[in-house]
Amino acid sequence: MTEQTLENKAALSPNFASPTKFVKALILDTLIWAYICLASYKIVYTKLIIADRFASFSWSQPLTCLGLGFVLALVIFFTPLSVGKEMFLANKYDRDHKNPMKMPFAFVIYFTVFLTFISGIYVSQVSMREFFSEAGLLGAQRIFGALLAPNFAIIDQAVFAAVETIYMAFIATTIALPFAFTIGFFAARNLMSSSMWAFGVYNITRFFLNTTRSIEPLVWAIIFSVWVGIGPFAGMLALCLHSISSLAKLYSEQIENISEGPIEAMKATGASPIQVIWYGVVPQIVLPYLSFTIYRWDINVRMATIIGLVGGGGIGTMLMQYQGRAMWNEVGLLAIVIAAIVWVMDWSSSKIRAAIK
Amino acid sequence: MNEILTVDNLEKVYPNGTRALNDVSFKVNKGEFLVVIGLSGSGKSTLLRCINRLHDPTAGSIRFNGSEVTELKGSPLRSLRAKIGMIFQHFNLVPRKTVMTNVLTGTLSRTGTIASIFGIFSQEDKKRAKELIDLVGLTGKEQQRADNLSGGQQQRVAIARALMQNPEILLADEPVASLDPSTSHSVMNYLKKVQEELGVTVICNLHFLSLVREYGTRVIALKDGKLVFEGPPTDIDEQWFQTIYGEDAVEVTIN
Repeated sequence: MTEQTLENKAALSPNFASPTKFVKALILDTLIWAYICLASYKIVYTKLIIADRFASFSWSQPLTCLGLGFVLALVIFFTPLSVGKEMFLANKYDRDHKNPMKMPFAFVIYFTVFLTFISGIYVSQVSMREFFSEAGLLGAQRIFGALLAPNFAIIDQAVFAAVETIYMAFIATTIALPFAFTIGFFAARNLMSSSMWAFGVYNITRFFLNTTRSIEPLVWAIIFSVWVGIGPFAGMLALCLHSISSLAKLYSEQIENISEGPIEAMKATGASPIQVIWYGVVPQIVLPYLSFTIYRWDINVRMATIIGLVGGGGIGTMLMQYQGRAMWNEVGLLAIVIAAIVWVMDWSSSKIRAAIK
Repeated sequence: MNEILTVDNLEKVYPNGTRALNDVSFKVNKGEFLVVIGLSGSGKSTLLRCINRLHDPTAGSIRFNGSEVTELKGSPLRSLRAKIGMIFQHFNLVPRKTVMTNVLTGTLSRTGTIASIFGIFSQEDKKRAKELIDLVGLTGKEQQRADNLSGGQQQRVAIARALMQNPEILLADEPVASLDPSTSHSVMNYLKKVQEELGVTVICNLHFLSLVREYGTRVIALKDGKLVFEGPPTDIDEQWFQTIYGEDAVEVTIN
């Protein structure tokens, strides 16, 4: 009994050994409670309980919630409900000997997830009434009916456009390859941490990769279609840029996972840095690289279809044109052709990747 | 001059503050088989890697054939490394490449960068590689993938690769630690052959005292980064053993 209380006390009283951890824990708690306050007030109270359809927004509300969260966090910090304390200050013994799923702080997390779910349903405007409305069902019946009766008269056009899409994806992947291959080395931490200068290059490369990758190819396609005109070329450029950054990221991660042994051995023979990379690094990465590249081509074919929707050429553009004219029978055929390509690409790329493992 | 390597007051502190080597001084004579013993973490590997400058020593001096090597950079450093062969516990062969290619990587320092990228090696080097593959008893396996060989065979490929450099010193970092006992003896015999027949100086890290007594001509022992013993292998008696492996011995008695 005494032992139990002692143990509890040890778990309850925060460990003040490290001030930064203490601050981190408090910040986490503040953010969690501010979020709980804000979500409860804005969504559960305003929208659901008093049903205010056009609630006004002002910055004072989140700021008030932040303040409230801070006060709550300060109080809760001294109870077992504190999540931050558990994350940053808990001692290892407790973590290993108790089931974290059943500890008090876990219920705060469950409640937060539940609150987010409730808010999410409201924000996404989930409505069963609209889903099963008579007009809605009729519309669905009409469109599905047309889609299921595809117009095979345009099949040769569709296949031609599909070929354009596949070629576009292939060229985008091929052009991206040498760039990604080179950039991959500069984005690999283990190769670039030898000096401050190299580490600077690593950080700049990483920043470039992250920014270009975080902008969707769809957006790049719009930018490039203004630049070089609407058509497959713009789509290809968009895919190419996105492929460079994605592949370079994957390649660099592969380089970071290689074994140091052969590199050390090549250095020990007196090899030059380029020879060390060619014999110590490259043989370890060729197959994963090939596998990533084929997978990327597969992804690019799918993306090329989407990019076509904003005028990037190929079957996507065709789809957009027929959809704009509400010619659902033609759209149905295009959907079948797209599904066939995606299926074939997916199947063959997985087969090839399995074969070279 | 008989000394090939002179190490004076060598010190290595890792960026995380670990002092791996602390004031280590010793000499290595031409043609000897010097064994380095000590517990795991006593600084043996660090010592070998300081000699060929895979690691940079923090302080102290290393003289190879009378010239200081601790400050070398770039091309002079690479030609130093070319004169010092090295084999590793985990063999460190280039994966997916043949035995022949692996042995030929020992010539990288004298092969041009462009030529080596296209895998073009000189006829003499290829002939020499063939001879060395025969020497380590792997005749007929030239075109096999090195990573498909057994552990002992891989280590012999690594020996051939190191010999391809025509080294003056061969560093062996626990060459038999991941091999079974019979294979260990075979690999150690090849190292002995290299030392006795080719006259290459061998500096070898070892764990098993039985191997030390059988193959070493001289022993140095490290403990917590300090040199605690230097002498012939026959001098390691019970008391020295306790000094070098002290903590282990205490643990055994308690259990």
